[in-house]
Amino acid sequence: MYRRLLLPAVAVAACLLIGLAAGEHWINPFTAGKGLESTILWELRFPRLLTAFAVGGLLALAGAWFQVLLGNPLAEPYVLGVAGSASAGAISGLMLMPDSAWVMSAGAFAGAWIGIVAVMFFAHLGANRMLLAGVVLAAFWSAVLALLLALLPEQGLFRAFSWMMGDLSRTDIPNSLLLAAWGMALACGLILARALDTLLLGERHAEALGVDVKVLRQRLLLLASAVTALAVTAAGTIGFVGLVIPHLMRLLFGSLHRLVLPASAIGGGLLLVLADAAARTIIAPAELPVGILTAIIGVPLFLYLLVRRG
Amino acid sequence: MKALMKLSDVAVSRGGKPLLSALNCVLHPGQVVVVLGPNGAGKSSLLLALAGLIPADGVISISGQPLSGLSKHELTRHIAWQGDLPPTEFGLTVRQRLELAAGEETGQIEVVATDMDIAPLLSRALGKLSSGERQRTELAALMLRDVPIWLLDEPAAHLDLKHQIRCMQMLREQRARGRAMMIVLHDIQQAMSVADYLILIDGKGAVEYGEAETLFDIRRLSQLFAAPLKQEGSLLIPDYRGTHEAT
Repeated sequence: MYRRLLLPAVAVAACLLIGLAAGEHWINPFTAGKGLESTILWELRFPRLLTAFAVGGLLALAGAWFQVLLGNPLAEPYVLGVAGSASAGAISGLMLMPDSAWVMSAGAFAGAWIGIVAVMFFAHLGANRMLLAGVVLAAFWSAVLALLLALLPEQGLFRAFSWMMGDLSRTDIPNSLLLAAWGMALACGLILARALDTLLLGERHAEALGVDVKVLRQRLLLLASAVTALAVTAAGTIGFVGLVIPHLMRLLFGSLHRLVLPASAIGGGLLLVLADAAARTIIAPAELPVGILTAIIGVPLFLYLLVRRG
Repeated sequence: MKALMKLSDVAVSRGGKPLLSALNCVLHPGQVVVVLGPNGAGKSSLLLALAGLIPADGVISISGQPLSGLSKHELTRHIAWQGDLPPTEFGLTVRQRLELAAGEETGQIEVVATDMDIAPLLSRALGKLSSGERQRTELAALMLRDVPIWLLDEPAAHLDLKHQIRCMQMLREQRARGRAMMIVLHDIQQAMSVADYLILIDGKGAVEYGEAETLFDIRRLSQLFAAPLKQEGSLLIPDYRGTHEAT
């Protein structure tokens, strides 16, 4: 048991150390003295690392839940249009008060929930129709977003695009709240793990084995949506973490959720920590939007998985 | 003997279309009721209704309690349902599938897997199995459900001849142990090998329920299926060389 945990533990430690050390200047956390290096490490990089870890973990958990909820392995946290509605909300906030990051975040959070409520009207129709409704709503929110971007003054465009491709540099949500949400989401997931496993057999088989599928679906939709809304509000729209990580963890640890969920919560966090470290380093002192890096890492990884799974 | 399941004036519809009505039937321990009828007649829907998975009109009582008053969880202590093959997208293995059926009682997994000839497949993903192997996995999953009533929807579907015979043997063994079963079948020979009672559903709303001996009648079944049958001794056999007009 301890030997099986050793490799993941070493990988986690290595990723976190890389996340701390990488940046415009490579700083060894073990030899950093007091002063500027210590300030950069513990006051700038460490809080951002925690944000990246929590957001990545939340996105991966939401992805795993949406995949089971919709019975579709291609589902991800934004599949039902929550990213589009959150982005529309964020850009609305930016238009209203261009200098206030707080208003932009509030707009994103409100937008995410408007998107969630819209999808919930279709939840009773079953997984396939809800997915279809979500895809159509996503197209609607994309159109709204395009309209808002067309109306947005030029000086706001960079901020808008940076947010839409994922931005961990300006989050207003405290790390403690994000980490608490990460822990609570994982705990809720583990409580539901057995029912989620049963749902892999399809709704009818799950119900025949005593799962109240209607109630489970409602809880799952609410949980996954709330987690997505929080992650989008904290860091904008970051793709591929929620799609790729649950699949990667299933490949490594099997399909049972008592393993897939904790592995996804940690693996998603680590992917975003590494992607953020790369985003801060590649064109330093400037930064790349982290969503670009997750896509660049995520797309080949996902294609590899597709081929390997045959 | 106390009835395990009692149906009084049961009617089932799907998508607003009435499938069957006024069904009255009783299921006692160790009894097998086979449901026969053409495609789309409502056989599977009847089982779904009895498993509490779709609504039905009339009164269905399970060990004296109304079905509608039992929670999903309580129902699992009375009824096990075998239906369509489950999806395979998420990589569940055969063992994991069986563990989900077994709940806490996982000690019999190897035994039933051996019985259903899937012991070497236990660590394989469901998606890597043939339809017949998946069907045997579903039968093994059912065998792990030690409940008084089994509802089976085409248990021998996808199986080769050897496993069809084993499946029917297994059902007779279960009957001998007191298991009550309602089974949807398409093969008349298989039906004749296990049925104590028959429910005939014609797809136009009419339902007939009675002793198998009485209802296994060449004229009645030819009419029901709108297909030619021939009698050889006590057996009713589909006449694959017969003409459509012969019905």
